[in-house]
Amino acid sequence: HLTVILTASDIISTVEFNHTGELLATGDKGGRVVIFQREQESKNQPHRRGEYNVYSTFQSHEPEFDYLKSLEIEEKINKIRWLPQQNAAYFLLSTNDKTVKLWKVSERDKRPEGYNLKDEDGRLRDPSMITMLRVPVLRPMDLMVEATPRRVFANAHTYHINSISVNSDYETYMSADDLRINLWNFEITNQSFNIVDIKPANMEELTEVITAAEFHPHHCNTFVYSSSKGTIRLCDMRASALCDRHSKFFEEPEDPSNRSFFSEIISSISDVKFSHSGRYIMTRDYLTVKVWDLNMENRPIETYQVHDYLRSKLCSLYENDCIFDKFECVWNGSDSVIMTGSYNNFFRMFDRNTKRDVTLEASRENSKPRAILKPRKVCVGGKRRKDEISVDSLDFSKKILHTAWHPSENIIAVAATNNLYIFQDKVN
Amino acid sequence: MEVQKEAQRIMTLSVWKMYNSRLQRGGLRLHRSLQLSLVMRSAREVYLSAKLEEDEEGRLGPQPGPAEEGAGQTPSGDLPPATPAPGAGRQPARGGSLPPPGKASRKRRSSSLDKPGAAEAGLVPTKKARLEAEEEEGERQPQGQDGPFPSLAKVLQTRFSGMLRGGPAKGPEPTPGCRPGDGVLSILVRAVVAF
Repeated sequence: HLTVILTASDIISTVEFNHTGELLATGDKGGRVVIFQREQESKNQPHRRGEYNVYSTFQSHEPEFDYLKSLEIEEKINKIRWLPQQNAAYFLLSTNDKTVKLWKVSERDKRPEGYNLKDEDGRLRDPSMITMLRVPVLRPMDLMVEATPRRVFANAHTYHINSISVNSDYETYMSADDLRINLWNFEITNQSFNIVDIKPANMEELTEVITAAEFHPHHCNTFVYSSSKGTIRLCDMRASALCDRHSKFFEEPEDPSNRSFFSEIISSISDVKFSHSGRYIMTRDYLTVKVWDLNMENRPIETYQVHDYLRSKLCSLYENDCIFDKFECVWNGSDSVIMTGSYNNFFRMFDRNTKRDVTLEASRENSKPRAILKPRKVCVGGKRRKDEISVDSLDFSKKILHTAWHPSENIIAVAATNNLYIFQDKVN
Repeated sequence: MEVQKEAQRIMTLSVWKMYNSRLQRGGLRLHRSLQLSLVMRSAREVYLSAKLEEDEEGRLGPQPGPAEEGAGQTPSGDLPPATPAPGAGRQPARGGSLPPPGKASRKRRSSSLDKPGAAEAGLVPTKKARLEAEEEEGERQPQGQDGPFPSLAKVLQTRFSGMLRGGPAKGPEPTPGCRPGDGVLSILVRAVVAF
């Protein structure tokens, strides 16, 4: 059930829990990052256990202008990825179309007082007035959370960055654009290694682009990237410096009965995610979510229909540009349930074990705090039952592209345009 | 026939989307451009094969070239349209030729005169000098490859010039909100090579 709705001032463009689930970061179209922190459990207020509140807000990226190409570079945050916590501070990567930044988020709850050369306001003291030395002491102050940019990784991408992924070695990460993937070391900002380059010598021969990329959760030499043609390539960085030859190639043969003007474009993969176990990958294309076993390349092991009733509406969806929407998908902590978004503020969950699925709605009307979400159903034809909604009544401007699942608990964050919904499963 | 109309509508829509994507913040997106050109190509293939069937049922003769040359001024737009080769209003020799949308290149044919928009769509630009100037700018790549972009550029050059020059669509285009893009062709050619 719902615990929190937060309204951002701008359209949310990415949502990500950190590795413990204590923090939830959102990025928006205006280049801002907002981090929420889960309240500690306290005996005094048990009903507020586990609520997320704003922890830090900062402007990550600003609009820029590429003078050479006379193009504006949007400040929209495309992706945020957390680094695992190694000390008291939190680190995250945020990226727009061209530049990746490493941010340090740290708390300050003590302040040194008793400087010798300056007074409490910071003004310099007259040295001739100082008659004795003292050692400054740390005194408590109101908690301040500050975000500072520690690294800026710029000028490495000609095309638009669509993915970033932190390696399990915690020393490197990759950034992927339409045609190239670069490998970075966190400490080095003026160089990166190009590990994938699919740009053809003649651009007129271009037939596919990279749409998403991710490192394997445990094997630091392995990563996957998906393409606009609906294929996934798994690469091993030990094989060669430039991973243009894949180790594995995942592709499902096309179903000829489904051919239309738009078959090619709806097979484009919008998101690829490794399972937590590292054994499976999940891909999202326009109408389906697929789970692939890394050991089987010729077809997915599971295919889930997200909103197959849209298959007959592809032409209208092309007209209103919805067919280009890039939905993401997520695993739950145990890899037993997968979740993805749809239209009309609906999002779908599929239980891989029971094969049951549910459609839920993220809307203010239906969501009161601690109310239980009611499953929704889309009526595909014939008689519409009460509580069902017909395909033609769906609001295509209300799309859920970004969702996140807590790494270990049943807490999900759902971004519906500029509203963030956090749902928790409380078993009392 | 319906299939043909639908394919044509989708092609027109795609061109308009391509033009519009150029104007959005952040500039052209490679993936989006690729997707649009793929749809264009599918629609074109369907259109051509449907047209082929129609042609087999007995075609009218080739287009008169001179009557359609030269008159059209681009209503607006900062980029000059890259025009097709002269006489593009004529049906090219190879099979499966396709008149501009609105079937309006058949200006002299009585069967087309009663179609709305025939007259203005008959303003097929044939400013070859302009085309050559663009080539000299080094913006044209050699044609002939099989990727999505050259076929798109080719299609636009030879098929859609009438539509592009026609200004606001008063033709039979049923697509809501679909306007021909002024100077789209040159934009698209530049789009291909911009990356």
